[in-house]
Amino acid sequence: MSSDFETYEQDFGTITAEVTNKIGRIPKLSGEEKTQLVLNVDKQLEEVRELLEQMDLEVREIPVQSRAMYNSRLKSYKQEMEKLEKDFKRSRIAYSDEVRNELLGDDAISSEGQLIKLREERAHLLDNTEKLERSSRRLEAGYQIAVETEQVGQEILSNLHTDREKIQRARERLRETDANLGKSSRILTGMLRRIIQNRVLIFVLGAVILLTIILAIYLNLRGH
Amino acid sequence: MDNSGKEKEAIQLMADADKKVKSSGSFLGGMFGGGHHKVEEACEMYCRAANMFKMVKNWSASGNAFCKAARLHMQLQNKHDCATSFIDAGNAYKKADPNEAIKCLNAAIDIYTDMGRFTIAAKHHISIAEIYEAELVDIEKAVAHYEQAADYYKGEESNSSANKCLLKVGAYCAQLEQYQKAIEIYEQVGANTMDNPLLKYSAKEYFFKAALCHFIVDELNAKIAVEKYEEMFPAFSDSRECKLLKKLLEAHEEQNSDAFTEAVKEFDSISRLDQWHTTLLLRIKKTIQGEEGDLK
Repeated sequence: MSSDFETYEQDFGTITAEVTNKIGRIPKLSGEEKTQLVLNVDKQLEEVRELLEQMDLEVREIPVQSRAMYNSRLKSYKQEMEKLEKDFKRSRIAYSDEVRNELLGDDAISSEGQLIKLREERAHLLDNTEKLERSSRRLEAGYQIAVETEQVGQEILSNLHTDREKIQRARERLRETDANLGKSSRILTGMLRRIIQNRVLIFVLGAVILLTIILAIYLNLRGH
Repeated sequence: MDNSGKEKEAIQLMADADKKVKSSGSFLGGMFGGGHHKVEEACEMYCRAANMFKMVKNWSASGNAFCKAARLHMQLQNKHDCATSFIDAGNAYKKADPNEAIKCLNAAIDIYTDMGRFTIAAKHHISIAEIYEAELVDIEKAVAHYEQAADYYKGEESNSSANKCLLKVGAYCAQLEQYQKAIEIYEQVGANTMDNPLLKYSAKEYFFKAALCHFIVDELNAKIAVEKYEEMFPAFSDSRECKLLKKLLEAHEEQNSDAFTEAVKEFDSISRLDQWHTTLLLRIKKTIQGEEGDLK
């Protein structure tokens, strides 16, 4: 009979080992596998309970002297089973570290890679900022040149305006001079005409006087 | 060698001309037609001598010779030639003795105004004013001459040249702290140039200057003035100058000289402020700081 008990003990040991193993695995799994495993573990716990009952019956059939030893063993087995059940219950709702890792991704795993990536991104951003600064500096310079050009343009325009007025005045004066020249040329022609007239008159008068003198001399000679 | 030769020749000529003039005066030659002839010859000789002195760069002797020639022309009643000789004398004296130059130029201006040639008279007023500006540094007289020139130009309807002179007058007035006059001038010029398509791009500059002058006198005036200008001239409100003015007004209200300095620096970084603007802005800034000091 004790050999039965020992067989039972061996079975108990194997099954509990399996159950412990499975309980350890349950939190890592999810979904289908988890339900399967849970059912498995349930069945095995049932077997363990049956084993324990049989062990109980066996122990009762053992004579009272050696019963104490078997009793204590049985008690420890029962305690173990209870512990297993508790663990089982807990495992069905427990979290494990691996799940956490899975959730947070590979970041936790590759922290080295992370740093390198960060540094690269930083360099890239600095590059961009520099490019932006360079372009804004160029824009400023361009704006300055535009403003200077505008000022130069203003000066040129005002110079042009002054010159325009000068040219207009010169044109007016030129027209005046032209008119004056015309007038003076007319006066000169008038003068010329008068001179010719005077000269003609002088000749005519001279001729008349000469005639008169000749007439006077002729009459005088006639008179003698 | 050539130069000293020329100079001796010139001196000789002058002596000859002097003799001629004296001879024509003492003799009864003045009664005959020949007298005039002599004076004309003497005139010509003076001119030649003066030109020779110019070649040798003996400016004062040259100016002297031209002056004598001018006086002879006056005797001969050749007003035009007289004035021209005076101008030549003035130019020669410019390089040697500014006061003499101014005297000659004044005489020439009198003749020109007599003849009614105001444009040329105005031009020479400007020359005199420039001499006062540069060599004698007598700003008030320079301002007076510039004003006179501007008036003559206005009379001859050359508004552009008149504006040029008025601007100089305004600039100097502001420097001499005659702000009211400067304000009037700048406003006038601004209003005139607003309409002209050639000049309207300079108008905002003038309004800016006028507003600065207002600012020094009184801040409230400046505000009213800026609004008035914006109304008159819409393009003014887009200009950077207007934005600067508004910032300065704000800074002045808050008595915040740092904001003032910053606004000025920002404007300066784009287009440098010239001496005149810097001086005025400094004065405005001092009023801010002065008031702060009083409060303390």
